[in-house]
Amino acid sequence: MLKPPLTFKHRLVLPLLLSLVLILGYPLAFSLWISLHDYQLTAIEQARWVGWAQYFTILAQNASFWNALGNTVRFVGIAVSLELVFGLLLALLLHRKATPFRHFFRAALLVPMFVTPIAVGLMFRFLLNSQLGVVPSVLRALGITIDWFSAQQALITLALIDVWQWTPFMLLLLLAGLESLPEEPFEAARVDGASPLQIFWHLTLPMLRPTILAAVVIRMLDAFKVYEYVYAITRGGPGESTETIQYHIYRVGFLYFRLGEASAMSYILIAVILMLVVLLFYALRRESLSQR
Amino acid sequence: MKRLQREAPILVVLLFALGVMLFPYLWTLLASFKTEAAINRPLALGFTPTLAHWRAVVLESSIPLQARNSLLVGALTVGMALLIGAPAAYAFARFNVGGPGLRFSMLAAQMLPPATLIVPLFLIMYSLQLLDSLLAIVAAHLTFILPLTTWFLIGFFDDVPRDLEEQAMVDGCTPWQAFYKVVLPTIRPGMTAAALFGFVLSWNDLFYALLLSGKNSATLPVGIAGFWTFRGIEMGRMSAAIILAVIPMVVVSFFVQKYLVRGLGGGAIKG
Repeated sequence: MLKPPLTFKHRLVLPLLLSLVLILGYPLAFSLWISLHDYQLTAIEQARWVGWAQYFTILAQNASFWNALGNTVRFVGIAVSLELVFGLLLALLLHRKATPFRHFFRAALLVPMFVTPIAVGLMFRFLLNSQLGVVPSVLRALGITIDWFSAQQALITLALIDVWQWTPFMLLLLLAGLESLPEEPFEAARVDGASPLQIFWHLTLPMLRPTILAAVVIRMLDAFKVYEYVYAITRGGPGESTETIQYHIYRVGFLYFRLGEASAMSYILIAVILMLVVLLFYALRRESLSQR
Repeated sequence: MKRLQREAPILVVLLFALGVMLFPYLWTLLASFKTEAAINRPLALGFTPTLAHWRAVVLESSIPLQARNSLLVGALTVGMALLIGAPAAYAFARFNVGGPGLRFSMLAAQMLPPATLIVPLFLIMYSLQLLDSLLAIVAAHLTFILPLTTWFLIGFFDDVPRDLEEQAMVDGCTPWQAFYKVVLPTIRPGMTAAALFGFVLSWNDLFYALLLSGKNSATLPVGIAGFWTFRGIEMGRMSAAIILAVIPMVVVSFFVQKYLVRGLGGGAIKG
């Protein structure tokens, strides 16, 4: 044999590595190449090298890009923080052995996270529609008028839909985190007469911190990809008030055919996400160190 | 009874959460049996049910074809992901091939924003003349479902005691036979959960399917996304189509839940 024979363990991994190079590695490299060109879908033959200028132009001059990035950060901030609060509350309730029907509630409350996001978006577009929707109708009967899809409100509405769909995910992870905590410190605290609030604040929360961190990071990364609700409901409007980054890249690339620009934006997006994750880890780590 | 009384406040909170969660489905389900006129009067209580929307969706629309496409794409994606991912996950768990770096790159890979991959995938499929084919969507879905499936299975392989293969090899199995005859059957629940979860993700995807599919290869999310926008307001039919898309996911969710935490924890938590 010319080549040294691959060992068993390498042969197990080889198909995966080859597949990933084919479906991830090559497209990523291709995308980087495109991002350095003036590459229009309508004139692929005339693709022209522009180099890093593409990135500088986006970063320095593209107000729509920054607007979309800002909208996305706001969306993620609102959605993930509410999901954490509601998820933690539900997890604490379902963790108590005394809570009646807890297994039933657990199974039922997890359902939304499995449901097709475009269907969720359309359901809520229907439910919140100012003429057909049941929610505005009921609120109107109570004397409350909210235009759910106005320029000021629409992004918040989309974030609330995200909360509806993804609080179950927080619940799932936080409940698993709670179940894996050791019993002894809690028993000791109860024997010493600590109140439930003290136990939550000084025991549960610090011990749950790694789980919370992991859950928040996973949810944030996922929420950054928000697209379906925007596509189903607002298409970025009114104006550009709900244009999120994924939707913006879709629009630049596939409605305006500027693929070079879209690719560069998507690489900037990866950089932004990485920076946020690192910052978050750093902030939380420093906080937990200063507490010790 | 006494326990229920004492737990009443907690029960109220949970029932409220359950109501918030169920209401959109119930309302959409109701709407699928209402006439368009009844849908226009959201607060009117009584209505005469009609099957017209369901008949239109099931018999006359392209929704059944799109459901078939979704089913095929999901099955193909998951099948390939398991075939390629399971041996690799076993190698990560048992032999620590590539170290933690390679393990965690599985996690990182499936978190890549789809916006980054869609442009090159679109151009590649265009030049291969694979646009508007199920194969293009399968390839796009594999970009996140393959790493996820691999990551998902590492945890389950970690939990299998080593003695099992060692015993099998003492009995004369080759390492490969020990893997697929002895180890693989013991993680069948994990494989099923990974398959179902991967299927959910494939079934739910809109972004890739929208851009890579065409008339013949449109999947269910693409189909229901078209209801409001292209054919005017057809709330009743849209509601029926939504319910059709959602029901399989609700059923699947009850089977996956139990294994989801172990799977998502994947290679990060040693069993």
